[in-house]
Amino acid sequence: MTGSQPQITEADLISYVDGQLEDQRRDAVRTHLAANPADARKVELWQQQNATLAALYPPLDTGVLPERLDVYGMERRLRSERADWRNMAAASILVLAVGLTGGWFGRGLVSQVAEPARSIVADAAQAHQLFASDVLHPVEVRADGEDAANLPKWLSKRLDRKLNIPDLTRHGLSFVGGRLLPSSEGAAAQFMYEDKSGQRVTLYIVAAANSSDTAMRRSNVGSLETVSWDDETIRCALVGNLPSDRMDAIAKDTYQQLS
Amino acid sequence: MPDFLDEITGCIPALRRYANALTHDRDTADDLVQDCLERAIRKKALWRPQGPLRPWLYRVLINIYRNNLRGRNRRPSQIPIDDVAEQLFVPAAQTSRIALTEMASAIDKLSGEQREALLLVVVEGLSYAEAAKILEIPLGTLMSRLGRARTALARMTQEDQPNLKVIK
Repeated sequence: MTGSQPQITEADLISYVDGQLEDQRRDAVRTHLAANPADARKVELWQQQNATLAALYPPLDTGVLPERLDVYGMERRLRSERADWRNMAAASILVLAVGLTGGWFGRGLVSQVAEPARSIVADAAQAHQLFASDVLHPVEVRADGEDAANLPKWLSKRLDRKLNIPDLTRHGLSFVGGRLLPSSEGAAAQFMYEDKSGQRVTLYIVAAANSSDTAMRRSNVGSLETVSWDDETIRCALVGNLPSDRMDAIAKDTYQQLS
Repeated sequence: MPDFLDEITGCIPALRRYANALTHDRDTADDLVQDCLERAIRKKALWRPQGPLRPWLYRVLINIYRNNLRGRNRRPSQIPIDDVAEQLFVPAAQTSRIALTEMASAIDKLSGEQREALLLVVVEGLSYAEAAKILEIPLGTLMSRLGRARTALARMTQEDQPNLKVIK
């Protein structure tokens, strides 16, 4: 071994086997292997592992896909489900109107409309009202505090979901901090942001019991604008006083960063 | 939408292979792929993911896979490993049937995170950078998972390879 020999690490050897080294480094590894039979055997074993894995999991026959994996059919179905849902919502309003005027004729129909999962918007709005107005202690863990780095890990653990803190600076919002809250759905996380004028926006997140995705829903609670959605493992609500088009843009960005 | 659907369709064989390798059960694997595709289409209604779709689809699939595991709280495979080997491969000339069965069983015994990482790189041929991004872990973490996975596989499969026994 000479001093000018580059140090070959185990990571280099693995990268060599997986064909992920640049030319120069690859040559260095080859030279190293020629002089180190023990490493050479290791590399040979790994190459054998790769060959066995390739034989075990060969490319699948791409000929005919099972019908249930046909994305075109799937897309048509999902689109019509969405339309059905909209029709059903419209129908339920109609039925309500009929029910109000026409007595019991509408009742059987009303009960057929599936109950939506309990909305988290009320909880989110309540939490927003309670904390967003607090000047001194708006959050439990401050973004500029010592514990800030542990915040996502802590809240991820408490919600048993991987959470990251969305970066909303492009919307003029800086991160203030976050807190853990009790909710009817178990632990909830609240992230708070504020713009230069001190306007605050909060993001409220609870774990979803069963995974489902929904479109974004907009609603007003008093003077507050809210946008809520379900995404795989979490349910989210964004709450604030900003104009609804800004809230929409922030919600979409948040959604994207969280998934 | 048609372009998006075409692009997704192009990824399906790879997704099925990966799901097969993860679950060792064809029906479970296709369930997983189906959920993944549906979720991708639903999500598309809200926003178009940036960059190539394939890595993003792996990530969606892995998330669903992990969720299902967490939900059912069970080992990924409940079928006898001989059946797995039977189901998975056409006997290959180069590699003995025993070696394949042994490898299938070893893969099954890896920890979930090692299996996810190793299969992305070795079977799906993704670069380390891509795999690390899909799994949302730093490159160094990925490398150490790969290293540990290889050591574990070697330990579990080297019985019938006497010439390699010296390796620690």
